[in-house]
Amino acid sequence: MSSAVEVVEAGLQTTVQDLGRPAFEHLGVPRSGAADPTALAVANLLVGNDMGAAALECTLLGPRLRAQRPLTVALAGADFGAVAQPGNRPMATLRPHRLAAGDTIEFTNSGSPELGCRTYVAIEGGIDVEPVLGSRSTSLVGAFGGFDGRALQAGDVLHVTEGLDIDGGSTAAQPSSRDRARGWPEAIRLPGPDDPIRVLPGPAAAGPDGVARLTAFLATRWSVTGEYDRRGLRLDAEEGVRPHPIAERPSQGMVPGAIQLAPSGQPLVLMPDAGTTGGYPVIAIVVRADLGILGQLSAGSPALFELIDPEAARAAAIARGRLLADGRRALVRT
Amino acid sequence: MAGEPAISAFGDAAILVELEPLATAGEPAAGEAGAGRPTDPGVALLASTAAAQALASRIRSATEGLAGFGAAVPAASSVLVHLDPTGASGGVDGEIDDLRRVVEGFDVETAGWPPGGSTLEVPVRYGGADGPDLDVVAELTGLSRSAVVELHASIEYRVLFLGFAPGFGYLGPLPVGLVLPRRASPRVRVPAGSVAIAGQHTAIYPVESPGGWHLLGRTRVAMWDSRGSPPALLEPGMVVRFVPEGCS
Repeated sequence: MSSAVEVVEAGLQTTVQDLGRPAFEHLGVPRSGAADPTALAVANLLVGNDMGAAALECTLLGPRLRAQRPLTVALAGADFGAVAQPGNRPMATLRPHRLAAGDTIEFTNSGSPELGCRTYVAIEGGIDVEPVLGSRSTSLVGAFGGFDGRALQAGDVLHVTEGLDIDGGSTAAQPSSRDRARGWPEAIRLPGPDDPIRVLPGPAAAGPDGVARLTAFLATRWSVTGEYDRRGLRLDAEEGVRPHPIAERPSQGMVPGAIQLAPSGQPLVLMPDAGTTGGYPVIAIVVRADLGILGQLSAGSPALFELIDPEAARAAAIARGRLLADGRRALVRT
Repeated sequence: MAGEPAISAFGDAAILVELEPLATAGEPAAGEAGAGRPTDPGVALLASTAAAQALASRIRSATEGLAGFGAAVPAASSVLVHLDPTGASGGVDGEIDDLRRVVEGFDVETAGWPPGGSTLEVPVRYGGADGPDLDVVAELTGLSRSAVVELHASIEYRVLFLGFAPGFGYLGPLPVGLVLPRRASPRVRVPAGSVAIAGQHTAIYPVESPGGWHLLGRTRVAMWDSRGSPPALLEPGMVVRFVPEGCS
């Protein structure tokens, strides 16, 4: 382990994330993990990491990072217009970049409804923080995991697993480095923030009243309000009618992607740091393949939901797994 | 006679196992005691949460080590079974079939809380800055401040289930005189250690978080240590009593 990256400016909310800690919900521990797990996985694959390695999740306003030694990094998710200094060298997303010791990464634009609100920075080797409860992701809610259980601050220094480039020397010794100069294959399309978000019906969509409620929900043009974070997104109707308010139910376990209806009828979409139980009725649940699209929505983003059946949900999950597997295969091909 | 639990997909990454409704478990409104029903919704809540815990234990021991299954999360009257999000099959049908076999023959009426072992005593400073809602609760319940404190500390509570935030235990049921709906507008920030009530429940906020419950006081006892083993001080079935340290 060696120090690798210094945080010069923190950005709005930059956290260490991996694919989350899925086994402790019964203790009230939210899953956490990347809000856009597909983008995290892609960034990792581009630098030769396991897709679940710890990387940085940058929200809306990116950080400024200084390489303390030569590094290979890749960015995926929303394109915040990264450049490497000195020299204002553009760092396109979806391909690996070499940085020399002392180089900095800056972002020239912020996230937006069009671009998405989260970008992921993966570093070859993966960010080395102590796993807590089986994951390196930051639990902002529990103030543990990741880097000291909090978002990064200026002056923090991140370490990287396996000191691959510890001597700052040639990378020729690493057999896969040459192949990693490849970018993500253009033929393998990644989801974007404009894609419809596929849902399955929730318990509150059952029965004649429920069907009417779900129909009204799907017919409404929703957009994300200013209240959005890693716990949840509140939606407001651009046009159309809100579902009628319905009574709370006994508390039950919840999942990220569950769309709850608050007593006012306002939908609340649960995100990775959401409470593990809740009592608001659930009208629909976003399929796991599309959770990453939710992670790119911010204030003003339209949220277009599309009802699918379980068969189509299964196909979507398999397709997402295949997308990452195909990408990995293309990246390591000689 | 209660039927077997109902099993249904909850999206494509979890399965909900719901117990046959037991009266009005979990409903915050008091006074719904109808003829032939338990006189107190809290009694029903005690029974349904005990059954949910028993069902979750059964599911855990049957699925332990089986690929595809994650945590089983019991709550007021159901168990949510998480599926491995990296599961390659993409479907839930196989797991639903597995769970059907696991819950077969589960009798909700035989499940109950085990006799209380040792009681966890939680010292609380009530009122003032520690419990900014004590006055409001007194007003809403028609009790004096000291009567609210006395009532809250007068009985032993069960830890019914954990949820909401790391180490957050839903304790209950509350004495009927303290049953109130949640605050109309939640607080953005509730300090760690805050002792609060809402509906049939009382709880101790383990970490600072937003919250809509009425804050009666605060304790110094740490409820959560992510490096601890176990990390949560409370576990379902535990018996808790609040001990007033003073009232400002």
